[in-house]
Amino acid sequence: MISSTIFIHPATWFLMGAVLLPFLNKRAGLKKGVLIAVPLIAFTVIHWLPDSFGQVSYMGFDLVFGRVDQLTRVFLHVFTVMAVIGCIYGLHVKETGQHIAAFLYVAGSLGVTLCGDYLTLFIFWELMAFASTFLVWYRKKRRSIEAGYRYLLVHTAGGLVLLGGIFLRYQNIHDLSFVQIAANGATFADYLIMIGFMLNAAVPPIHAWLPDAYPEASVTGAVFMCAFTTKTAVYVLARGFPGFEALAILGAIMTVYGVGYAAIENDARRILAYHIVSQVGYMVCGVGIGTAMAVNGAISHAYAHIIYKALLFMGVGAVLEMTGKSKLNELGGLYKQMPLAMIFTVIGGISISGFPFTSGFISKSMIIAAAGESHRIGLLLMMTLAAVGTFLSVGIKLPYFIWFGKDSGVRAKDAPWNMNLAMAIAAFLCFFIGIYPEYLYKMLPFPVNYHPYTAYHLSETLQILGFTGLGFYLMVKKLKPEPKINLDVDWFYRKGARVFMVFASRPVLSSDGWVNDVYRRIGFRLTMALAKAISWFDWEGIDWTIDGSARGVVECGNRVRSLMTGKIQHYIGGAIALTFIILIIVMLV
Amino acid sequence: MLLRILNYLNEHSRMLKRLFFAFLALTVVFDFYAARHAPHFFGDSIIGFWAVFGVLGCLGMIVVWKGLSHVWLAKEEDYYDK
Repeated sequence: MISSTIFIHPATWFLMGAVLLPFLNKRAGLKKGVLIAVPLIAFTVIHWLPDSFGQVSYMGFDLVFGRVDQLTRVFLHVFTVMAVIGCIYGLHVKETGQHIAAFLYVAGSLGVTLCGDYLTLFIFWELMAFASTFLVWYRKKRRSIEAGYRYLLVHTAGGLVLLGGIFLRYQNIHDLSFVQIAANGATFADYLIMIGFMLNAAVPPIHAWLPDAYPEASVTGAVFMCAFTTKTAVYVLARGFPGFEALAILGAIMTVYGVGYAAIENDARRILAYHIVSQVGYMVCGVGIGTAMAVNGAISHAYAHIIYKALLFMGVGAVLEMTGKSKLNELGGLYKQMPLAMIFTVIGGISISGFPFTSGFISKSMIIAAAGESHRIGLLLMMTLAAVGTFLSVGIKLPYFIWFGKDSGVRAKDAPWNMNLAMAIAAFLCFFIGIYPEYLYKMLPFPVNYHPYTAYHLSETLQILGFTGLGFYLMVKKLKPEPKINLDVDWFYRKGARVFMVFASRPVLSSDGWVNDVYRRIGFRLTMALAKAISWFDWEGIDWTIDGSARGVVECGNRVRSLMTGKIQHYIGGAIALTFIILIIVMLV
Repeated sequence: MLLRILNYLNEHSRMLKRLFFAFLALTVVFDFYAARHAPHFFGDSIIGFWAVFGVLGCLGMIVVWKGLSHVWLAKEEDYYDK
């Protein structure tokens, strides 16, 4: 049963690849073959998926590894395309560990996309967080190690909130299937789950992990990370929580918040990271509006965004790889040295800004139009303002200060062929989707009744972009990059942790010892005495007074009670253990 | 070849500037002729609304966020290491 359907699951191939890779350390050619073959196989198998597969029943839980509908298919499509691009981009990387981490990370993301119940979701969810941490650590700088720990801690906290929500939900309705939750009937448990998802979608104020960790990740690691974590979160939000007002409002705030920071930051990869917050805001807002057109828009924007944001991270990553620099104040005038990277990055920049004939034009506008059709003018204006900021910060500022501006004297040459090939594929897709939007539209879960290429939409877009350019032209001196960082809400835990450490090291430690001491001397004896007295009364006193048979009844009751109370935790703990075992079997079958 | 084009453009920045302003004028002219189906709100029926929105939005964003950065958010790069 399992063995026949196991190879349909695209994550299986990535897991097998991750197991195989360490043995290919000495065979560079074979290793590269595996790195290309695995995502290509995954991209192929997703076209043949049955509507439902991999159902495993365990102690009353129905684990569903494969639940396939239109929403699943479009995300699987873009995730596997992205895996192909990312693997080509990272082909030259010698550390096998990085490839393994990337494979496990992609497997986690595909597992979440395909799963049909919360337990399976949680396991793949944590696999993603765990594997991606290594993509940060593999940069091997002190800052990356620290940022990786913060990243892991924040995601562990988010995972616990999610798990808490799952437990509570199970307690309430005794059902773990992962389906849409009605906005008017949502309980506390559902909101906990939503918060867990929102953390991965980087919704402020729980977004700071993203601009903290992504700029410190390895060059190829950042390319993978920018695609999967947030967009998997968009998928689960679109699956579970369409039409939640909180998402619509927070999403619109996100768009402006992220782009504002992108306008003032100095590190190119941090600009792009903040800009992910902004872009995911459009998707979260679209999911929150919840109409068919808005959800369609959110999904098509996720598709388009994965490609062009990866393209931007690849372009900037190529500069970092070749020059060792990513701060705008240290770069400039590189167009003579790295013209290819420039062309590709500019294509990413105009796509993200939504130029006509690029993918951003046909996806972002769908969400904005959906906001307009739902008469949400506030959301519409915020998202349009964010579009202005997008062109300002990523469309113009970023390429200008890297490739033009003043000559920084940095000397470099264009990146290796595989990086350029990956960028070329992504750049091609940006134009392909922009020119031929039906390719994307026909994958969407709802029928599309939207035509991006109207005269008015063209006019609106050209005015916004043109006059944003004018704004940049007038203010270019004000935008001169400075070697500074900007505070964000991660201040609370980065500085707050110090206060906690001081507190923990002195008063808590000493009081802890003191309490322990008191407890050991007095408490322990008291407890023991009390326990003895109670047990004597319980067993001897009651039995003597009532009946000899009472003991039997009490014992039986105790047994049932312990079974009842321990049930859920044991079940879920056992289920998680079993899922891991199944995963291991999956890899070996 | 790519380099030669870029160098050529770099040397003729005045021509580029003129082209850019001509493009801006054209977008507003185009707005007179663009058919408006089902406008979402009042801004959709004003000619050149998005041009004004674009330039004011851009300037406003730079002023507000750069201002925030200067008076509050910006810190030295080793701020968290201290």
